[in-house]
Order: sequence, then C-alpha cells, then structure tokens
Amino acid sequence: MRDLARRKLRTTLTILGITIGIWALVVFGSMANKINALVEGGSTYYEGKVSVSDGSGSAGGFAVAPMSLATADQIRAIDGVDVVMPDVSMLMDADGASMSMSIPPMIVGVVAGSDEDRETFPLHYAQGRALTPGDEGSYVTVLGADLARQYDVGIGDTFVIRDVEFKVVGVLEPTLTAPDQTAMLPLAAAQELFVASLPPMIRDGIDPAAIATTLTVFPAEDVDPEVVADRIEAAVAGVTTMTGKDFDEQIGSATAIFNAILIGIALISLVVGGLSVVNTMAMSIAERTREIGIKRAIGGSRRRIVRELVTEAGLIGFIGGAIGLALGALVVVLANEAGRPSGNVLFELTTGTAVTAILFSTILGAIAGFLPALHAARLDPVAALRYE
Amino acid sequence: MPLLEGRNLRKTYRLGRTNTVNALRGVDVAIEAGEMVAIIGPSGSGKSTLMHLLGLLHGPDLNHGPRPELSFAGQPMVDLGEGERTRIRAREMGFVFQDFNLVPTLTALENVALACDYAGIRGEPARKAALEALGLVGLAERAGHRPAELSGGEQQRVALARALVNKPRLILADEPTGNLDSERSAEILALLRRSNLAEGQTIVLVTHDPEVAGACDRVIRMRDGRIQPAASAVPAGDTFVADDRLLATA
Repeated sequence: MRDLARRKLRTTLTILGITIGIWALVVFGSMANKINALVEGGSTYYEGKVSVSDGSGSAGGFAVAPMSLATADQIRAIDGVDVVMPDVSMLMDADGASMSMSIPPMIVGVVAGSDEDRETFPLHYAQGRALTPGDEGSYVTVLGADLARQYDVGIGDTFVIRDVEFKVVGVLEPTLTAPDQTAMLPLAAAQELFVASLPPMIRDGIDPAAIATTLTVFPAEDVDPEVVADRIEAAVAGVTTMTGKDFDEQIGSATAIFNAILIGIALISLVVGGLSVVNTMAMSIAERTREIGIKRAIGGSRRRIVRELVTEAGLIGFIGGAIGLALGALVVVLANEAGRPSGNVLFELTTGTAVTAILFSTILGAIAGFLPALHAARLDPVAALRYE
Repeated sequence: MPLLEGRNLRKTYRLGRTNTVNALRGVDVAIEAGEMVAIIGPSGSGKSTLMHLLGLLHGPDLNHGPRPELSFAGQPMVDLGEGERTRIRAREMGFVFQDFNLVPTLTALENVALACDYAGIRGEPARKAALEALGLVGLAERAGHRPAELSGGEQQRVALARALVNKPRLILADEPTGNLDSERSAEILALLRRSNLAEGQTIVLVTHDPEVAGACDRVIRMRDGRIQPAASAVPAGDTFVADDRLLATA
C-alpha cells in the first residue's frame, strides 16, 4: 500500500514537471503568436507601398512632425508613382507614449477612398459601416475591435478623443494587429486634432487642411516599391521612406529573438520533462520487475511489454501536457483581461499552439519511456521472476 | 513419441565475473503426453533450471560438448528465436510459480484473461474463458478481487486458472505448493490432477516435497545437475495417501 502511494507521489511529481514545461510553452507560445501576428500584419500592411514621412523626427514610421500636402503633389509627379494618399496618424492619448509592448491606441485620419482602391489590407466590419468621403467635415469614427471592447462602445455611441466627441458609425472585426487599436477618422477631423496638439506658437502658423503626417504612396503597376522609395528620397528633401522590406528588416530581427527564446523554453522543458519521465519509468519498471517477469513467462512478447510501458509514459506526458495547457490558457485569459484596460493584450492562444503543446508532451513522454521500456522487455524472465 | 524430449541439456550460469555454476551437466529427459511428472532434488540440483529449459524460458548451452536437442510436440526448439518461443509459451504452455505470481494491479479475472490476450484471444471470448477457468478452480465468485484481497491458496488457484485457461498441452509448475500449508497444497495438487485426467494435459512439476512427488505418476530425481539413474517407483502407500486427500478435497 505504501509502495503504491509512493509511486503515486512520484508520478504526480513527474506530471508536475511536464506541466510546468508545457505551461511555459503555452504562455510564451501565445505571446509569440500575438507578436508574430502584429509583425505579420505590419508586414502585410507595408507590402507593395511606400510610406513617406517627415525626415526630421519620425519614430517607427509614425511621424511626429507634419508634412505639407504640397509634398504629396511633388511625389505624385515622380515617375512610377500611381496614387498618393495623405493621412494624419497620431497617438490617441494626449500625454504621449505609454509604456506598452503592444501597439498603443492610434487615431488615423484619411479621406475615405483616397487610396483609389489600392489598399489591400482587409478590413471587415463587425457593426455599422465604413467611412465615406461624405463624412469629411463631420465628427464620426470607426473603431478597432480592441478599442470598442475596451471602452464598451458600439455604433450610435459617443467616443471622446482628446476632448472632442465623435459618433461611432462602425466597429471592425479583430485583425490581431494595428487596426484593432485604431480609431479611424475623416481626414479633416484628424488634421484639427493634430494641430490642436501642437504648441500654440507653432499652431498659429499652420493651416490644418494642408498637412499630413504620412503619405502612403502606391507605385504604378509593375514598379518595385523599393525603386519608387529611392526616387522619392532623391527628389524630395527632408522625407524618409519605409517599405515592406524595411519593415521586415527592422522588426524581423526582434521576432527572431523572440522565437529563439520560445525554442529555448521548449528545449528546456524537453530536457527536464523528458529526464523526469525517464526517471519515473525506470523506477516504476524496477519496482515491477517481477510483474514484467511474469508477463514474459506466461507469453507476453517483448513488443507487448514495450507497448504497455510506452503507452503508460505517453499517458503521463499527455496528462502533464493537458494540465499545463489548461493552466497556460488560464494565465493567458487572466493576463489578457487584466491588460485589456491599458491596451496590453499580449497573448493569443491559437488552436495550433494548444495542439502542438499536447502532442509535444505526449510524444516526449512516449520517447522518454521508450528506453526504460526496451530495457524491461529485454530482462531475462527467470531472473525477473526471482527479483525481490 | 514423447511430448517433450531433451538430450545433452547443459546450462551454466555465471555469478559474477569468474564464478560459474554448472546448473545442468548434460541431461537426457523424455516426458510422455498425458504424464504427470515430478522433478525432485535438493536445492542446487538443477531441477528449476531443467524446468526453465523445458518451458523455453531459457535456451540450453550450445558450446562445449555434444549438441543439445530439445523437441516439443515433435518440433525442434533449440534454434527458435525469442519471439517464437514466447508464442509457444503463450499458446501451448501454462506456468505456475511458487510465489503466486499475479499482476497486483489486475483483478483475478483480468489476470487470467491476460493469458488469453497473450494467446491471441480478446474481448468477450477471453472473459468467458477466464470465468470458466476461475470456476474450475472454485473462484468464480472472487473474479473481481485483486490479488491483495485473496488468500495465498486463492492466489495460487488464480495462477492455476491462468495456466489452464488456454487449455495448453503442457503445464509447468515450479514449487507450486512451496508456500502453502498441506491442506492448500492438496487442493492445488487435486486441481492439477483433475485437469491432467479430464483434459489429458501433461504436467511437469518441480518440488522438494516427497508427498507432492508421491502424488505424481513418475518422479525424476536430480542431484548435482544430473538425473539420478535410479528412477525408482514411488511406494504404493504414498500414492494412496495422496489419493485419499485428493478425494477429500475434490
């Protein structure tokens, strides 16, 4: 009886070891999913176009200093440029950058349709409608999924941005990237907000209707965005450009580090969890030497013995993985809920991650159990029967 | 033709690096189908080793001396691989050991059904056969109990049911009554004798108990790894004593 309890304790500890490994795998995997989705979204967003912003003080593609719309006309004249879409993008919070690992809430003002159907990033509407050119001059907004959820607003509600009231006319489906945290405004409204945010001395000299923070340039058909970006930088003074390739180079290395951390955690859990399964199975087999001897003597084949023990080890792995997944999912949900008010939604637990975690732990357990099982199956049945 | 026939059976065990034990020093043995044979001898005489060779649990030594031969039901066994020997053990042989060797985590029924499983019979047929075998040893109503909940005598009867369940041609019993009092020993012997008579099963049992040996048809005496030439008949009186007990418990 005591022996059985001891075995139970050891099995529990082994399961716990795997649980911790899989828990870490699930939590970090979910974080990687979220970040990869952001990066993927950005990569898709920047693909096939050139973002032009003021060269004097831009941060991460979101310009701080405004550009004149005259620059847009200058760029339109460049060979290979098809469409130039001006927009005003800025942080939603007046007090500037908040500490955040994810994308902060943004406002983006653009004249609906000014991309002339060149924008390919897909947006789907959970409620309401898209902005139209007719919205220029009025104070309406389309909110990203996270924003709408965070402030609990829907169409018809009023949404206050920098002390200005906007009427919500649409809410987007989640995209897992930037638009989730974005309030889309008519360009004119965004221009006003932007100018209002400037220090009074500068503010007076600026005509709100003549500025933009970013010019999105869509190249003509069959023209490489890189080539267009080079031509723009050569022809227009004081601007900087960003293409899909630039984005991938800047952000891709950060993602690679994160993925490396994830692989590291997976390897550690592989080693720790695997060794603990090997240990448990070796001990459990030593305790059951006689039982294995009986089974071999009365006609249990080596293959049967291996199969039984490997199944047992796989089951230990599966149980550990399932508990680890459940705990990891709990952490992901709790952390997301806790972070949602401040916009720090860091985790995305996908089916792929869940299935991988379970498969990984089960296969890990089975592989770790294989060697002790093989050893057991090769025992001499007579010696095993005599084993005390 | 004998069911089991062995020639030049030798077996040396190695204990440590230099110390070896000549457990069998060249044994010729023949066991006829339907016989109930006892192998007796002092400890270290090689009687268990002989049983392990006959039960295909070990192979005889092949070097140093004339080539050993072992046939079971007319088939040569010496060159068979481990897988094939395991298959024959599962289908054609039943084993009973001294220490009531049951799997502790399985019920009586599951222990018996395990032997069916190894012989390729599963599911309902295996359950029926196992219940029938447990009925044969008088333990049908204890089918759901685990070994720890059974007495020593009951455990050995479960082990016997496991040995009988596939109706094997040969039953090998290594000191089957070694850990039982005389009453329980008699029960086990009576059950062995009954299946020997009813099913014509050949039974080889290893014992150091002269009373148990006396209940068998024939006695093989071993000493120092060899069979004693004087295969003397068992005194008649002993047999009657055993038979009386057999009748009393049957």
